[in-house]
Amino acid sequence: MKNYDSIRHTRGESLFVDDIASPEGTLFGYVFYSSVAHGKILNLDFSNAWYVDGIKGIFSAKDIPGENQIGGIVRDENLFAEDTVHFIGHPIALVVAETFLQAHEAVKKIKCEFEKLPAVFDPREAAAKDQLIVKPRIFSLGNVDDAWNSCDYVFEGSAESGGQEHLYLETQASLAFPIEGGGIKIISSTQGPTTVQRTAAQVLALPMHKIEVDVIRLGGGFGGKEDQATPWAVMAALAALKLNAPVKLILPRQEDIRITGKRHPYSSDFKIGLTKDGKIIAYEATYYQNAGAAADLSPAILDRTLFHCTNSYFIPNVKATALSCRTNLTPFTAFRGFGGPQGMFVIESAIHKAAQKMGVDPSVIQKKNLLNEGDEFPYGQKTLNCHIKKCYEEVETRYNPKEIYQRIAEFNEKNKLVKKGAAIIPVTFGISFTTTFLNQASALVHLYTDGSVSVSSAAIEMGQGVNEKLRMIAANELSISIERIKIESTNTSRASNTSATAASKGTDLNGFAVIDACKILIERLRKVASEELKQTNPEKIEFKNEIVFHAGEKTGLTFSKLVKAAYSKRISLTAQAHHSTPNIYFDTKVNKGEPFAYHTYGTAIVEVTLDCLRGIYKVDSVKVVHDFGETINRTIDLSQAEGGIVQGIGWMTCEELKWNNEGKLLTDSLSTYKVPDIYAVPKEIKIHFLENVPNPFGPNKSKAIGEPPFMYGIGAYFALVNAMKAFNPNLDLNYSAPLTPEKVLLTLYNKRQIGRE
Amino acid sequence: MEVRFKLNGKEEEVTTEPYLRLIDLLRDYFNLTGTKEGCGVGECGACTVLMNGRAVNSCLVLAAQANDSEIVTIEGIAEGEVLSSLQKNFLTYGAVQCGFCTPGMVLSASALLDQNPNPTEEEIKDAIAGNLCRCTGYKQIIEAVKETAKETIE
Repeated sequence: MKNYDSIRHTRGESLFVDDIASPEGTLFGYVFYSSVAHGKILNLDFSNAWYVDGIKGIFSAKDIPGENQIGGIVRDENLFAEDTVHFIGHPIALVVAETFLQAHEAVKKIKCEFEKLPAVFDPREAAAKDQLIVKPRIFSLGNVDDAWNSCDYVFEGSAESGGQEHLYLETQASLAFPIEGGGIKIISSTQGPTTVQRTAAQVLALPMHKIEVDVIRLGGGFGGKEDQATPWAVMAALAALKLNAPVKLILPRQEDIRITGKRHPYSSDFKIGLTKDGKIIAYEATYYQNAGAAADLSPAILDRTLFHCTNSYFIPNVKATALSCRTNLTPFTAFRGFGGPQGMFVIESAIHKAAQKMGVDPSVIQKKNLLNEGDEFPYGQKTLNCHIKKCYEEVETRYNPKEIYQRIAEFNEKNKLVKKGAAIIPVTFGISFTTTFLNQASALVHLYTDGSVSVSSAAIEMGQGVNEKLRMIAANELSISIERIKIESTNTSRASNTSATAASKGTDLNGFAVIDACKILIERLRKVASEELKQTNPEKIEFKNEIVFHAGEKTGLTFSKLVKAAYSKRISLTAQAHHSTPNIYFDTKVNKGEPFAYHTYGTAIVEVTLDCLRGIYKVDSVKVVHDFGETINRTIDLSQAEGGIVQGIGWMTCEELKWNNEGKLLTDSLSTYKVPDIYAVPKEIKIHFLENVPNPFGPNKSKAIGEPPFMYGIGAYFALVNAMKAFNPNLDLNYSAPLTPEKVLLTLYNKRQIGRE
Repeated sequence: MEVRFKLNGKEEEVTTEPYLRLIDLLRDYFNLTGTKEGCGVGECGACTVLMNGRAVNSCLVLAAQANDSEIVTIEGIAEGEVLSSLQKNFLTYGAVQCGFCTPGMVLSASALLDQNPNPTEEEIKDAIAGNLCRCTGYKQIIEAVKETAKETIE
């Protein structure tokens, strides 16, 4: 089954924000932003900009009718800078003109003088200065201090993981226009329509019901449009309100890379204690999260780092401390995995280091410590239906790592300048928003008298195929042809108070809501069918493939006839349902609870080939066993997994963000920021769907798929490290990702005794 | 200035500004919004169109350069309601996620298959190396192109 939108995608008929026929007289916006990382605005002079042809308006902090505030978790971020700028890219004004080129021209004419203030870019330096977004967060289990003494080995080290630009192919985009009664309609490329609605209402000093947000689809999101689609949508809305005209604001690619948030860079310390045979007794880690200049979603991302600090392992004594450090870089934000990958990278680094020192393969330690049923995570939840061992063992039986290691050893023996390496990476990922109240969604289902069906929900389609999955769920529930069902745009007038489509939860939450709404309709239709068939017991009515059955017998009544009959009987053919994930909670005072509806499990083995003369490498294969539950749509789930893996490999290898010492992003274009291109694809990707693992907590026994496969990319890092070690066993490894070819080359030759071979 | 060219099989004549890019002419004048702007500097390939059978980035081509040429956009690939076999295989192999890169991918692959009906995997990669996709990881796209070539040869 194909992604619902796919046919139109291949025909070029799908509409993204910039493709929608703009209303007559649409104006275009361009953002003017700070060119210094930290400074006081001394003089802001728009006068020359006003001379540009076609200019219609320039809006800054003083033009805001409501609050100049867009911070969601912490109220620390203004829409436009007031007297101080906190990062390069901090928006100062929005210029609106008749054409995009005129708006851009006018921005170039704005003069702004700054008095530079000291700026901090390093999270550890920020922490030392006590520049924290929230108080340090600590998760603990057992008692590490008592445990170190009972360890045979204790190793310490540090690990760095870089940020990551989302590079959604469609840049941030919004179109706002005035509607009757002083309201504004915003068409936005956002994962969080309600976030846009609520923030626009707050900034424009309007009630939320006067702001309507509509989202057709996104050209990729990956978390980058969860919170950070908001400012641009709100700016467009502000200008539309002020000018009483439609305003389109689309960020050009380079501006998008420069001024929007990315995955958080982390700098971390670890200490790991083990027994002689590789059992991990204690683990302590401190994470310095580079949050950038404002909180954005950083506190929630920080928590997820802690939730995943032990990845797939049971460790009886854990102390994990996380600090969200305020720096003068663009506010970092959600990105697939949401802090989880950063936490997992540190524990995998610790295990790798321990294995090196103990002279064993990391997989020996991994296997010894995999989670068992009923094991407790540092946040108090115990595993249920834990499949991590199954996945790991299935990797061993299907892909035979022993043979792979043997083959690699032989290859490395024969080849001096080309080396191979492999690594196994297990992944355990908790599914739910860890902010419990966000785990809710709603669906609205209309049956029309011609038998066609319309489904609205809070889910945003961004390529992950949620629309097709919801369509399949509705068709299954109503027992009708999928062709009857249309998924509507996500609109705040049809789905209120939506949670962002994020945390891999789009299908879970909205799928359950769709099921519930369909069940309501089915109940009503049963009664009508019973009456139509002159029967007395609606319980005996069943629907199968559009046909009504009574007491197991086929009748002449069909779905479309029944819908018409219900209408004639004045029965409502609309149902709305709300779903909230049951039995989850998390107490942030003690940092214990059951935050996740369930966990997703999987294991991958990654193999690479490294050219030790040039530092360039190739991912040969990624072989995975993954727990998809009972997949709703195999093609979609497989594509999600494969795409996630390649994005994860990108994060660990070629994608490198570099800033100069003034806090200016140097990698601000596609020629300097390298995302995986077609040559970066692993030669082989094999994904095995773990069998017979129905998930009682997912719609139709399925599991969430968006984020977990991303973390298999971590395997590429360690496979590369192992290849490097094969070339230079003495190399000084500092667990710093991404491992770009440049970094590989510079690392390969340290401490190498040249000329002895 | 006057520009005359064949667009998706139809002769067109328009007056355009010398600075206008082909992508703007296609999107804003002809409302062919299947051609997407992903970067505006020829790095991402989302704006790929066929110009005299060759895949070009329409953000790097001036509208005036289209004079006397034949342009095919994504809207000109299907025969009415009937998808081309390449489009069908993009669906079958799950080579489509968010859809923003898809038109460019389909056109780059079309240009390849028109010139080289039986490409090797390396040739497929070379042909679509200028098209970035952030969703799929490319594997399914390569498979879709391979399968199309196989069908055509058979």
